[in-house]
Amino acid sequence: MAGAGPLHGYRVLDLAGELAVLAGKMFADLGADVIAVEPPGGSPMRRIPPFLSEPEAAGPEDSCYFQAMAAGKRSAVLDLARPPGRDLLCRLADTADFLIESFPAGHLDALGLSYEVLAARNPRLIYTSVTPFGDRGPGASWRAADIVGWAAGGMMAMMGAPGRPPLQVSVPQAFSHAGSEAAVASMLAHLERERSGRGQHVLISMQAAGVWATNAETAFPVLENRSLARTGFIPAGMRRASVYRCADGYVQLMIGGGMFLSTTLGLLEWRRESGPLPKAVATIDFAAWTPDRYTDPGFQVELAACDAVISDLLLRLPKAEIARRSDDSGWVVAPVATMADVASDRQLAARDFYQRVNHPGLNRDLELVGPFARLSGSPAPPARRAPMLGEHTADVMSADIGLTAKDIRALELAGVVGLAGTAVYR
Amino acid sequence: MTGEPSATGVAAGLRVLDFTWFGVGPITTKYLADNGAEVIKVESRRHPDGLRLAPPFASPAGINRSQYYGNFNSSKKSITIDMTTPAGRELVRQLIPHCDVVAESFRVGTMDRWDLGYEQLRQIRPDVIYYATCLQGQTGPRAGFAGFGMQLAAIAGLYYLSGYSPEELTPPHGPYTDFIAPRFGCFALLAALDHRRRTGEGQLIDLSQYESTLQFLAPGLTHYFATGEVARPAGNRSPRYAPHGAYRCRDESGRERWIALAVEDDQQWSATLTVLGAATGAISGPDVGTGPPELAAQADRLARPDETDDYVSGLTRQRNAGELAAALQQAGVAAYPVQNCADLRSDENLQAFGFFRELEQAECGSMPYDGLAYRLGRTPGQQSAAPNLGQHTDEVLSCLLGLSAAQIQALRDDNVLY
Repeated sequence: MAGAGPLHGYRVLDLAGELAVLAGKMFADLGADVIAVEPPGGSPMRRIPPFLSEPEAAGPEDSCYFQAMAAGKRSAVLDLARPPGRDLLCRLADTADFLIESFPAGHLDALGLSYEVLAARNPRLIYTSVTPFGDRGPGASWRAADIVGWAAGGMMAMMGAPGRPPLQVSVPQAFSHAGSEAAVASMLAHLERERSGRGQHVLISMQAAGVWATNAETAFPVLENRSLARTGFIPAGMRRASVYRCADGYVQLMIGGGMFLSTTLGLLEWRRESGPLPKAVATIDFAAWTPDRYTDPGFQVELAACDAVISDLLLRLPKAEIARRSDDSGWVVAPVATMADVASDRQLAARDFYQRVNHPGLNRDLELVGPFARLSGSPAPPARRAPMLGEHTADVMSADIGLTAKDIRALELAGVVGLAGTAVYR
Repeated sequence: MTGEPSATGVAAGLRVLDFTWFGVGPITTKYLADNGAEVIKVESRRHPDGLRLAPPFASPAGINRSQYYGNFNSSKKSITIDMTTPAGRELVRQLIPHCDVVAESFRVGTMDRWDLGYEQLRQIRPDVIYYATCLQGQTGPRAGFAGFGMQLAAIAGLYYLSGYSPEELTPPHGPYTDFIAPRFGCFALLAALDHRRRTGEGQLIDLSQYESTLQFLAPGLTHYFATGEVARPAGNRSPRYAPHGAYRCRDESGRERWIALAVEDDQQWSATLTVLGAATGAISGPDVGTGPPELAAQADRLARPDETDDYVSGLTRQRNAGELAAALQQAGVAAYPVQNCADLRSDENLQAFGFFRELEQAECGSMPYDGLAYRLGRTPGQQSAAPNLGQHTDEVLSCLLGLSAAQIQALRDDNVLY
């Protein structure tokens, strides 16, 4: 079931780069009118891989990154380097409920597009600035890259193997934490604006948003005088994740007591179907696997014995079979899924998660991820494709700013705006 | 809004009855609590939030002394009601008319069995917003899957995309998806509150942590569907940046230090070489600012990532990570030391942002808390410490339900308030 979405009727002026592109996407997903302002030549995000074509031949609509992250937005090409372009942006901001930006510190201020300037014209405006490292420290004007954000927020130091470099996740993470935080904070400000009638300036620190992913590890140095280092594979443990090899990939599970005991016992029972368990395991008194014994050396020996037996069992079984048996038995075992597994997952299929859109510029269909939340009373609108370069410039200029076709044509000739079909990608 | 707007902050006047526990639900409602909403957490000694039992603790350990719990439950109230008792569930039904939002993160069906599901609660309060979150959603064949953010990170494809190679996976730390889903959940909740303001209607929010997490993987999924190419773990490699990774610096206090950096184009490469070469003297003569000719162009470096890494590593090894990051940033190159959690405590940018807080907790006294990653310029709100178990039971029952001290004592004697 789809509708207009709970945020239908609100307008977001999306000036964000990749640091905060997810914020506007979240607004669009719930029905807001999100206008992505692109520079002449097109958004740099149209050049971010992976691509639908060979990278060298990629055109403005070939970036899967852009197709995914700009889905549901409209595109207006506007040159903010020129005074008439900035004037148009001011007039657009007069019609907007939210503005989201992630330019380097001071960039919009220097263009005369600061919060103060725009709020003086439109006091209701919520103006959200996403920064890499905040606005007051030595890094206030520093640059971000996703891997740099992952390092600055503390996650990288805990990921990887000893003796080898700390690691990132192979797809961007830090920017998405920042972008989603910006969406929430903007809506918090909105909650109050609807009472006071006043907008405000909202500021996000990507680094701080990343710290929130560390699972509250930041208090350990204070309370227990220790800080986790990267430790690679951990065979079993209460606070760490475990990955086991199986016949055709990996599964994730934890061996232990408490909430992991039934999974541990279930897997040992599965192994026993093919022959008696080794004595070191068969003689374990699992009733004594209580949390107060987790640091006891004897417990650790028992844990290691179970680990060896279960590791050996899993090696012989395919991932899908382990997952099926676990689902049926209620074990806490998870397949380590690839993109192919996630794309064909029956749980997602049962919920009609993926959504197909047609892209006339590409002359093909694309599959997009579906909504992040199901709202019974104000369902999200159906997925909409990302805009083509300048696709909505003329609409926005005429319907929202009141320019005539002649005005728009003159602005195009002057290079201030770019229109669908004629805007140049470079 | 049903509450008295005595607190400050954007959510003042909003009241939430919060049955959530562990990570996702509590972090979701924390956004409201830290901004002035009255978030009443329902727990019991029989069924406390599991994080109350998890380290780190203010020594000695105890049910009110977990910082792990505290960090996700700042600014909330706590009442203890044993939900397995009919009288306890009746108390909850009486609280519903006073609450704008009900939040829960139980296994699917738990609240229904208590006659406290959305359909039942909307009979009591038609405009209630009911936020239900679980790993894989309220419907579908795996709706009942009970697990944590580690399992979900594997199921959602993040584990496979974490490693030096497909043979050497090293997952992200902790229940990672617990820190992705709350933002999507809170955003949906705030949108539902606005919908209620505009229409008077409440609703049920089904927040699948799986579907939220996949928003982070959206480009890769669109690419897979279009091309059939399965993304593989690629260490610190990037298709866009070279060099791109973590590079060893000089040890500090007997501990490894690393710097993360990403070079986007030839101009940044030239700046990187200048910064790296200037202090070490490793690059001199005609090579200054250009480096090895076979790595001169971005396309060369992207094609030879191992050589590029080796070359850069040779130049960073004797440098101080913090000083080098500052110098590279000064030259326009994205860089930062790889900070561990102790490093974060003294990180100048987090300090300037006012990130870490010390809050007075009722039993423990001053406790370290993570602060906010956002700043609402005009309405900053006020964060306070997490509650003791049942700290606000009497206050809530007398203020909202008008129960007398004797009535409350009777419920306590009957182990309903337990």
